[in-house]
Amino acid sequence: MSSQQQTARRLSSAFQQGVTRRRFLKWGLVGSAGVAAAAAGGFALLRLSPLDDRPKPDWADGLSRQEYHLFDRARVALLPTVGTDLTPSDQVPVVRNVQGILGFMDAATRKDVATGLTLFDNAAVLFHGKRFVDLDEATARDYFDAWSRGNVVQRTLGTVIKQLTYTSYWRDESTWGPVEFDGPVSDRWGIAYLGNAPLPDQQPDQATEEGNA
Amino acid sequence: MSEVQWRSSGLPVTEAKDITQSSLTLDADVVIVGSGAGGAVAGYELARRGKKVVILEAGPYVPSKDFTERFPDSLETLYQDHGGQTNKSGDLLVLQGACVGGSTVVNGCVCFRTPDFILQDWQRDFGLSDLTSEEMAPYFDRVEKNLSIEDNKEHEIARHGQLIRAGANKLGWSVKPFKRNIRECALTGHCLSGCKTERKQSMLVSYLPWATAHGARIFADTRVTEVLADGGQARGVRAEITGHDGAKVAEMTVNAERVILAAGAVQTPLLLLKNGLANRSGQVGKNFACHPSLYVSARYPKPVHAWRGAMLGVYVDEFLHPDKGGFVLEDGGAGLAELSMTAEPGTGEPFMAFMEDAKYLAGLVTLIHDHNVGTIRWEDGRKVIDYQLANSDFPSMKRALKAAARLHLASGAEEVYVPSSDQRVIRSEADIDAAVEGLENQPQHLRMVSYHPQGSCRMGADPDTSVVNSDGETHDVKGLYVADASLLPTSIIVNPQVTVYALATRIAERMA
Repeated sequence: MSSQQQTARRLSSAFQQGVTRRRFLKWGLVGSAGVAAAAAGGFALLRLSPLDDRPKPDWADGLSRQEYHLFDRARVALLPTVGTDLTPSDQVPVVRNVQGILGFMDAATRKDVATGLTLFDNAAVLFHGKRFVDLDEATARDYFDAWSRGNVVQRTLGTVIKQLTYTSYWRDESTWGPVEFDGPVSDRWGIAYLGNAPLPDQQPDQATEEGNA
Repeated sequence: MSEVQWRSSGLPVTEAKDITQSSLTLDADVVIVGSGAGGAVAGYELARRGKKVVILEAGPYVPSKDFTERFPDSLETLYQDHGGQTNKSGDLLVLQGACVGGSTVVNGCVCFRTPDFILQDWQRDFGLSDLTSEEMAPYFDRVEKNLSIEDNKEHEIARHGQLIRAGANKLGWSVKPFKRNIRECALTGHCLSGCKTERKQSMLVSYLPWATAHGARIFADTRVTEVLADGGQARGVRAEITGHDGAKVAEMTVNAERVILAAGAVQTPLLLLKNGLANRSGQVGKNFACHPSLYVSARYPKPVHAWRGAMLGVYVDEFLHPDKGGFVLEDGGAGLAELSMTAEPGTGEPFMAFMEDAKYLAGLVTLIHDHNVGTIRWEDGRKVIDYQLANSDFPSMKRALKAAARLHLASGAEEVYVPSSDQRVIRSEADIDAAVEGLENQPQHLRMVSYHPQGSCRMGADPDTSVVNSDGETHDVKGLYVADASLLPTSIIVNPQVTVYALATRIAERMA
């Protein structure tokens, strides 16, 4: 048995057993993230990708090369805009925004997330014969959908990658116009600041009487 | 008593950038940990009675003018853990403010008095015989007056609220306008990002400036690391002041015979556990309720623009009493980022079609009366929020979800999106049972959010089963008080800010 097959078997076994909740460290922008550190930790990549040799942008110093390509693939798969009036995702700094969010994590959580992302990328080999970063768009979407119906590990990872990607797209102002989202309005509308509320007219003695009433 | 020095805007706060010494020692009558609902109210009530008050806030001071009205940015700057605080399994986001003013800066302004039947539960089950409706009424009256708490006026019920109200009326369900703590609402819909023009009567523009007017001092960027106590008597706190770059600027000691913990239902028990204080009962950090909510979005045939107008307009209290279900439904506005994360309409094109129709979406927030099954604790030096929705609460969650779906449909919605990890869309009443009954109470199956963590240092008459008495003082350490949502012995179904304000007022008054 090749080392790749052994690795695949170990990974598959981890999934089948269902990694316990205790083996997750959680983080989520809106409600998620768990990372199967034990399942994926220490594994080499199951299959090489042509993208492995492709450099990441200079600004992506907060992402590994693999993470950069994973989120860029997620961007393409999750945010199709052809045939719509929506802003094409390649005109939005989606992956850069993902990097910004990940940058707020403490080191231990960030490490666990990295492990989870590695797991997500590599597990596609078991199902589709390719890493996630090499899946075509339709297959990548099927992969997400399958994970949304999977075990807790799969649901967690699928959810966190989706939500990171979605938020990183929709937070950008260039995406708002096509859906009539107003964004910040107070300054644009010239709304006056009210300042502090007036001091209550309570006196110490009156308040005590009031409280003892 | 020194002269009262009220200012019409802004707040005198000492920040890390203002500190020039490496060590500070202060003497006070009372030191308060946390500047949110409990800490600010207690601070003002004590300061105006002549007490020398110091308020320490771990989070930054962000003045209103710096609020961006961009929710993802606000999560990162105003919320605990930059908006990433979750329970252990990561399927429940626990949103708490982490800035001067605490969660009051970023909440939705919703104000409810503690329901009478909840107070009765506390009297019966926890020996809190003095916390009657009559006893609490003057405190509710006072905070409602101070914070301009009034029913929403008609213009404050946005399009999404109007739809929901019409649907509720069609079903014959009781629906009411919210009471909110707001003056001249500007209808921006950005409550959760802080009220930029200072209409929300958060602590930032009310009790905190009032407290400083009476001489209280506020320190931001100041995290309390130790509660000082000896001989069963509180003596003060030690803290670290940390710059926004993460570097420690100074150490601080505040000597005070009275210490009030008001850091919220997660941080307060963590501080007590770290110091091994007030835990003879073993209840510190136990009995945690998350008060989990779901945001149920639905697509309507005509534009709603759920981000326009007051964020929260009306609520359905038809099922408020536990005998009738024990949940409330609240109409809720939302922006794009929130909408993108609450539903699972499918991957790729279905999702983008869902978002392309965002202006047609409206949402309902469900709040249930969950049991206090969670625990806050330390694990390997990191905080753990160990909370999973109890199996006994899952039927209530499903009932609330079904009711939300029915209400949306009655309000004219064409599609209702179940906030689950997999795709579940309801298009008619006939779809509801299948879509909801198929849900499992498993981690990561529902997309839950907790805005109201509570219960982790519960009040009670019995020192063996509770952490503090009805005056907020810990049973074990004289002079050590709790004045935040940790106090609540049970979840109260409704939004808890007014309950915390009232209890903090009462606690401060009894201390003074």
